[in-house]
Amino acid sequence: MAPLTAPKSGDALFASVDRVNAELFTLTYGAIVRQLLTDLEEVEEVNKQLDQMGYNIGTRLVDEFLAKSNVSRCVDFKETADVIAKLGFKMFLGVTATVTNWDAEGTSCSFVLEDNPLVDFVELPDTCQGLHYCNVLSGVIRGALEMVSMKTEVTWVRDMLRGDDTYEMRVKLIKQVPEEYPYKDDD
Amino acid sequence: MAQPAIYSLFIINKSGGLIYYKDYGSAGRMDTNDSLRLASLWHSMHAISQQLSPIPGCTGIDLLQAHNFDLHCFQSLTGTKFFVICETGAQNMETLLKAIYELYTDFVLKNPFYEMEMPIRCELFDLNIAQVIQKDRLALLGR
Amino acid sequence: MIGVGKAKQYANVLDKPLSRGRQEVSLSAFAFLFSELVQYNQTQVDNIAELERRLEDAGYAVGARVLELLCHREKGNRRETRLLGILSFIHSTVWKVLFGKVADSLEKGTEHEDEYMISEKELLVNRFISVPKDMGAFNCGAFVAGIVKGVLDNAGFPAVVTAHFVPIEGQQRPRTTILIKFAEEVLHREARLG
Repeated sequence: MAPLTAPKSGDALFASVDRVNAELFTLTYGAIVRQLLTDLEEVEEVNKQLDQMGYNIGTRLVDEFLAKSNVSRCVDFKETADVIAKLGFKMFLGVTATVTNWDAEGTSCSFVLEDNPLVDFVELPDTCQGLHYCNVLSGVIRGALEMVSMKTEVTWVRDMLRGDDTYEMRVKLIKQVPEEYPYKDDD
Repeated sequence: MAQPAIYSLFIINKSGGLIYYKDYGSAGRMDTNDSLRLASLWHSMHAISQQLSPIPGCTGIDLLQAHNFDLHCFQSLTGTKFFVICETGAQNMETLLKAIYELYTDFVLKNPFYEMEMPIRCELFDLNIAQVIQKDRLALLGR
Repeated sequence: MIGVGKAKQYANVLDKPLSRGRQEVSLSAFAFLFSELVQYNQTQVDNIAELERRLEDAGYAVGARVLELLCHREKGNRRETRLLGILSFIHSTVWKVLFGKVADSLEKGTEHEDEYMISEKELLVNRFISVPKDMGAFNCGAFVAGIVKGVLDNAGFPAVVTAHFVPIEGQQRPRTTILIKFAEEVLHREARLG
């Protein structure tokens, strides 16, 4: 079905949705990370759980993105990445990401975040140096893409909380699951 | 009292399971088994219709017209299908389905007590659906 | 060249200028995160009382930080020392910053001297949430009760804070009341201060 209305720009999208003070979001996320550190103790386990939580969010959030952005099916992974960077990040977090560092096959790229509302007020203590504080974001991307038939691997390559100059996550398309015709499974 | 423009609303998950069913008015009311069976049938028909298309990229039936009812279907890119069965010629059903899709993203997907792919039991979703359907009916009465 | 953005590096988080609190994210981003907080905590508990306690704990951590942040930013490093002062600080300043509006009402309990209630027709955290029937009177507002407790405790007003659904006549949906029951010492101190 053709989209009823044309896709919106990132700024128009963000302006059209209900918004809250980013501090509520940031502090709530901080409370989650703190709970996980207490519950799970091992930093590596916390990283895994944050990724899992992000994945769960991604599988739910993708529908809202599709419903409100009016984007239609993307032709390829490249277009998908652009849509996420320009519209996805903007619609939910009010920030834009830059897509960069494409490989030759067009199956892996980086999202570079200019601004990251998760990390206000945050500094990693010595005991948490291995923590991927923003792992929820990479999980969201993985979960959201899986719901539109793209299996991906998402990893952080640069993290300002760990002393890098920016936030960069690497998204690698593992496989594109073809559409399934369920009546074939019936017999 | 005017005949309700909409007879029933279905939501089916991406595996063809019925996760939401509501009927409006007595016409077309069916029991749980029938609604489940019908949902899974529609799921298959929708998939077959994609195969019928001579041009690749078909997303399946959007509108089925019969002499005494219309069926409007909207499938999200994530594979969830929303469809309404209504009077022939009922207008603005695409807009209604889109509105229902948005309500689903708000009051179902953001509800921590909703488990994905499972039947929807969310009071706020029911309330809001009733409101948009009601609004739609009023608009139709005013035509 | 990539990575040239607005974000600047600071050697220490304390060197970074404190945000003015004008930045926004979508309500949806918060709602999905909050939903995940509730879902995660459900996997960690055996009963509803425990779930309430854990959501309250999470909120407490937010409240403690909000107090610090707002006393610095909005009140020039001063904080309220009187009971009505701190209550109205929560009802207006804290609510406005966190939820974008002043709370619907702040009332004194009619039966108990030590009880106060902050009520909201539709608590922001509950906007999209339908609590299943089998969970009884459970209210995700326990998180907000935790925020209130976190602010009060750290300002020197220890209290028991709980969230309750209260039916409103003629309305389909109940409102949420945050019930604050102050510790005895707080009331004694108030009485002394006159």
